[in-house]
Formats: sequence, structure tokens, C-alpha cells
Amino acid sequence: MANKTTKTLSVLMAGALAVGLTACGGNNGGNTGTNEGAAGGNGGDKGGEKATITFQNIYPDSSDPKYQMIRTIVANYEKDHPNVKIELDSLNTDQQKLKLKTQAASKEVPDITIVNPAAQMQPFVEADLFAPLNEMVEKNGLKDTFQEGILDYYTFDGNLYALPDGNNIGLVYYNKALFKQAGVEVPTTFEGMVEAAKTLKAAGITPIAIGEKDSWTGSFLFMNVLLRTNGPGFLQDVADGNKTFEDPAFAEAVDAFQSLVQAGAFQEGATSFDYNAGENLFKTGKAAMYYMGSWATGGIETSEVNKDDNIGVFKFPTVNGKGNPDEFMLAPGSAFAVSKHSKHLDVTLDFLNYFMQNYPIEAFKVKGAVGVAQTIEEDFAAAGYSNMAIQVLDLFKDVKGGDISFDNTMNPGTSQVHLTSIQNLFVSKKDAADVAKEHQKAFEENNK
Amino acid sequence: MNVLKVSKWTIAAFVLPCVLLYVGLVFVPILVSVYSAMLDWNGIGASTFVRLDNFKYMLTSDTVFWPAVGRTFLLAGFSMLIQLPLALFVSILISRYVRKPNFLVSSYFLPVILSVVVIGQLWKTIYNPGSMGGMINQILETIGLESWTHSWLTEPKIAIFAIIVVGLWQYLGYHILIQFTGVQNIPADIYEAAKIDGADGFKADRYITLPMIIPIFKISVVLSFIGSLQSFDLIMVMTGGGPGNATDVIASHMYKMSILSQKFGYGSAIATFLVAVCLIATVIINFLFNRLDKKYT
Repeated sequence: MANKTTKTLSVLMAGALAVGLTACGGNNGGNTGTNEGAAGGNGGDKGGEKATITFQNIYPDSSDPKYQMIRTIVANYEKDHPNVKIELDSLNTDQQKLKLKTQAASKEVPDITIVNPAAQMQPFVEADLFAPLNEMVEKNGLKDTFQEGILDYYTFDGNLYALPDGNNIGLVYYNKALFKQAGVEVPTTFEGMVEAAKTLKAAGITPIAIGEKDSWTGSFLFMNVLLRTNGPGFLQDVADGNKTFEDPAFAEAVDAFQSLVQAGAFQEGATSFDYNAGENLFKTGKAAMYYMGSWATGGIETSEVNKDDNIGVFKFPTVNGKGNPDEFMLAPGSAFAVSKHSKHLDVTLDFLNYFMQNYPIEAFKVKGAVGVAQTIEEDFAAAGYSNMAIQVLDLFKDVKGGDISFDNTMNPGTSQVHLTSIQNLFVSKKDAADVAKEHQKAFEENNK
Repeated sequence: MNVLKVSKWTIAAFVLPCVLLYVGLVFVPILVSVYSAMLDWNGIGASTFVRLDNFKYMLTSDTVFWPAVGRTFLLAGFSMLIQLPLALFVSILISRYVRKPNFLVSSYFLPVILSVVVIGQLWKTIYNPGSMGGMINQILETIGLESWTHSWLTEPKIAIFAIIVVGLWQYLGYHILIQFTGVQNIPADIYEAAKIDGADGFKADRYITLPMIIPIFKISVVLSFIGSLQSFDLIMVMTGGGPGNATDVIASHMYKMSILSQKFGYGSAIATFLVAVCLIATVIINFLFNRLDKKYT
């Protein structure tokens, strides 16, 4: 008996140790990642014409049209260039961000990778990791396929470092049936939107769905309010030292945003919903409105709730009578960058050129062409795109400038404080002056 | 050591691979992160050596840091003051009244082997508002206690306790298993002798079980303390440290600083703090239990 228990105990201790070790493992996460990274950049031999290119991408989901699209283009290229092999490293967005940071720390960036525009890619550019694409983009007239001005977000000191897969705008999707049920009209002012939210809530309908556990979602909406109260360029003015966060326009935006929260516009427990869970509320017809970038169009279009043209879109309205609805939150997409230290730089550049040429063509075929960064001269309606998609495309034609998101403008340190601060507004009422001070302090600390 | 009848060199040779692994995977990274803690570095580009500035900022100016430390110790406190005594109580009951305890103990142990992500998602659903199918709130509504309903995970004052409950639930079985084995390991003849002397039932527990379980209980305490300090996964799954910073603990703050804010140097400073606290706490716990041990043996 005693012997048996000792044995049990020793097994138990081994188990305890194992659990303890796994727990410790969490601590070293950053370090172990490096090993994984080494698998990336290499491959392919120098002798002969043969080349293997690693293509890190964010299309891992086989139900996403882009999953098939990228494979089609790669297969076509490999057919024409039998000595080139392209290995896909498909990760979801967060994993990819993490992996790239780890790879960058050890200068093992894959031949082609994904970066986000402006401030988010700046640290990588400053670390001199990417090859300039100035010459490549001139070949085969690739540059002219891109919409005007979009490449500026990926250009530093006159050098273009990445080519975007999308160009989106912030807009409000709404559920026509639920609007009718509660008897509300499409709001033309922000105050009207707050009222509509109250009416919807009284009718037992969640007014606005949001996935605020991923705090960028609330920030994106907040920045649209700020874009109305201030007009474009607020963050740029702050960065240039012409304004501070204690500007009245910022406080006005905080107060307006809080009036929406206090009206009970968002679903209960919004800060525990992640992006997908929040979007699903809307896609399953449980919420009446959804503010998001136009990249959500594809997913909503194919969802059950869009049957019989049930979903419509409208521009974010004026706030306190201020702002121009034709100014949008702009979301230049994630973009393809090429590693400067690629072993097959020429082949990689040639492939990326081919890829970007075919990207809009293939995207159009799989109904993923709303919000592509390149111009598409095709008949969307004839190709079977829904009325909502056509409506979104029409909004694009109205765009008269705007702002890009907070984390694309400010450095990561400042952005993180901002995101937390806005998330806080969802659960407690704050004095606008305090929110402004918090932002200003973070900005000064992170820009010494 | 002679009992093994091999030379010290042989022993050294057999121990060496393990020591090397341990040094390479544990000590070297710790030293590296202590060094990184003195850098102003975003993890990608160039870095500058700033000596102890990161530590200074952490201890004096970071408004999130101390509350996060407080919450970490709150976790540890709940674990040690509620979870462990409860586990001990349950194990004594089981060993006394249950004839074939294996099934019961294994059932208690079950949550431990489930993935934290699964557990987090499960409890998120349980905590959801009633309108979203949250079990707790629906039960409260059914029995007429609407005023008690809360949005458990998103009210800043409650959220951390909601997470603590899940943590306690998950690891209760783990500590029951450890302590149950300890209780079983106490020779039955001692109890028989005590019975003759008139000590039975809870009196026997007070004077026999408790003193004799101390070495095993110590293991539980160390594991639960270190585990609480490192708690991270459950929090990231359930709230991501939010709303605001209301459920951030040391480890989640460290992750956010290093990865999201891209202040790798500063994140390393927090990690160094965490390592230091772990070491100090282990030493203190060992010291206290050694004294207890001496008192009773």
C-alpha cells in the first residue's frame, strides 16, 4: 500500500513539474519564437536557375475567397516558370504580426511578407529590412493600376516599400428589416444615430454590434467622430506640434462618443466580444447597425442576413452639425513587402509584379473585388455582385479625403494607451478632459 | 552517493545534458532579458543602452504597473487562502468517507487537462449577459434576482473576480490530487494508535493529518503561488486585460508592452521584475515551511 502511494506520488510530482514547466514556458514565448522563424527565409539553392521563394501571407482560411485566389496565381506563375517554387506561409493576422516581429529581430524576414501602412511599418523600414520597389512598380505599367495616392502610405523618403492588397473606407452597415421593425429611418446626423439607438434598444434590438475586445474596432469608430468634429489631419497636427490632444475638437469627440455609449447603443458586454464575435452579431441579424471598414462587405454579402437585399450602407453622419460625410476613415490595406536580404531578389520582384497584375483580375472573379487598391474597369452588377456591394462601390466614388486610423498614424506606444483609453469609455463614463490628458501624456512620453 | 557505486565523473556525465539544457533554456534567456531590460529597444531596429531608466519608469511612473502587481497578488492570495484549504478539506473527506476515490479525484482533475482556451470560452459563455445566453445571469433572472445580474467580465470592478473564480475552479482538482495523495500516504497505524488514545475524527485531523501533510502542502503552496504570478493565458482569452486595464496582471502587462507597444526593453524590465518576485517568494515560502516542519517533527 505504502509502495503504491509513493509511486502515485512520484507520477503526480512529474505531472506537477510538467505543468509547472509549461507555465514557465509562457514567459519565454518571445525567445522560442526565434527558432521557428529560422525556418522561413532560407530554402532554395544558389547554383543553377532554381529558386524557392517564401511568401508569407494572411489568407489561411479556406472559406475566404482570397485563399483560393492566391493559390491560383501562384500555380499559374509556377507553370510559366518551372524553376521557381513558391512556398506559402499562411498565418492569421495576429500570428503573422508576431512572427514577422520575431523574424525581423533576427533579420530573417521571408522573401515576401505582409506589413501595415504608415506608422505601423515604419520601424521595419527604419531597420532597413525591405527592398525599395520603385523600379519594379514601373515595369509592365503596374504603378498605373493603383488608385491615385494610395501608394503614399507605403512610401518613405521617396522609396516605395510595399504594395497594398486593399483600400477601404469606414462606413455603417444597417439591417433594413430591424430598422423597419423599430420604425427608425437611416440617420443623417450623429444625434439622429443616438436617437435611433435609443428607439432600437427600446424595441429590444441591439442597436450597434462591435467587437471591442479587439480595441481597434472602437478606436476606428471614435476616430470617425473626431474626423467630423475636427476635420481631417488632427493626429498629423498633433505630431507636428501644431495641436495637442487637449484641443476642444478632441474633447467634443469624446463627449459625442460617450453619448452614444450612454444611450446603450452597443451590445451588453461589448468589451468581451472579439472582432469575429462582434461581426457575427450583425451577420446573424441580432444587431441593427455595424460600423466597420468596407473590407467586411464580402463576408456580410455572403451571410444569411443579406438575403433579399436586407443590408444597406450609409456614410458616417455629421456630429453636432460639423464635418463632411464625404470625408471617410481611410484604411489602406495590409501590403506586400520584399525582404532586402532575399536570396533571389530579382525572381521575387518579378513574381510580386506578376502577382499584383493578376490580383484584381482574380479577386474580381471570386467576388472579392470591393475595396481592392487597384482600379477595376468591370461591370460589378453584371458579374453578380449584390446591391449592397454596388452601394459600397458608389460610396468610394464620393470619397473626398479623410484620415487613417490612430495606430497607423501614431507610434505603437501611444496607440496602445489610446486603444485602452477608448475601451475604457465603453464601461465607465469619463471626463473628456481626463481622456485628453491621458492621451497627451502618452504622446509626450512616447515621442521624446 | 556511494550507494550508487559509480564514480562522481559518471554521475556528472549523466547529469550534464540536463544541466546544459537547463542553463541554455532557462538561465541564459533570463540573463539576456535582464540585459534587454536596460535597453530602449523596439525589438526590431537599433537599441540604445539606458541603464536603469526602464526600471525607474516601471516603479515610479507607470500607472498600470502597480495595480497589475496588486491584481497578481490578489490572484495568489485567493488561491492560497481559499483554494488550498478547500482542496485539503475535500481530500480529507474523500480519503475518509469514499471507498473507491479514484473516479472522484480524476473528475476533479479533469479541468486541469482541458486547454485554457476551451475553458476561457466556456466561462465567457457562462458569464455572458442573459440576452446572449449567459447561464449565471439567466439563472438569477429565473429565480427573481434580476438586481444581482451583472455583465461579469466587462464591469471593471467585478471582472478580475470573475476570472479568479475560473482559475480557482480549474486548479482545485490539481491541488486535491496532490493533497489527497499526501493524506493517503500517512500510515494508518498512527490513526489507530491515536484512536486508542481517544483522538478520533476531526481531532485526529488537527493533530495528525495537518502536521503530517505539511511537506505536501508546501508543494501546493509553491505551485499555486508561482502559477498565480505567471497567470496570463486565461486572462488573455477571457478579457485580454480589459476593459481598459481592469484585469491586467504582471504577465499580460509585460506582453502588451513588449509586443503591442513594441517596447521590448521595457517589457523585459517587467519580466525581470517577475523573475525576481518568483525567486524571492520561493525563498520565503521555503523558509516559512522549514520552520513549520521543525516545529512539528
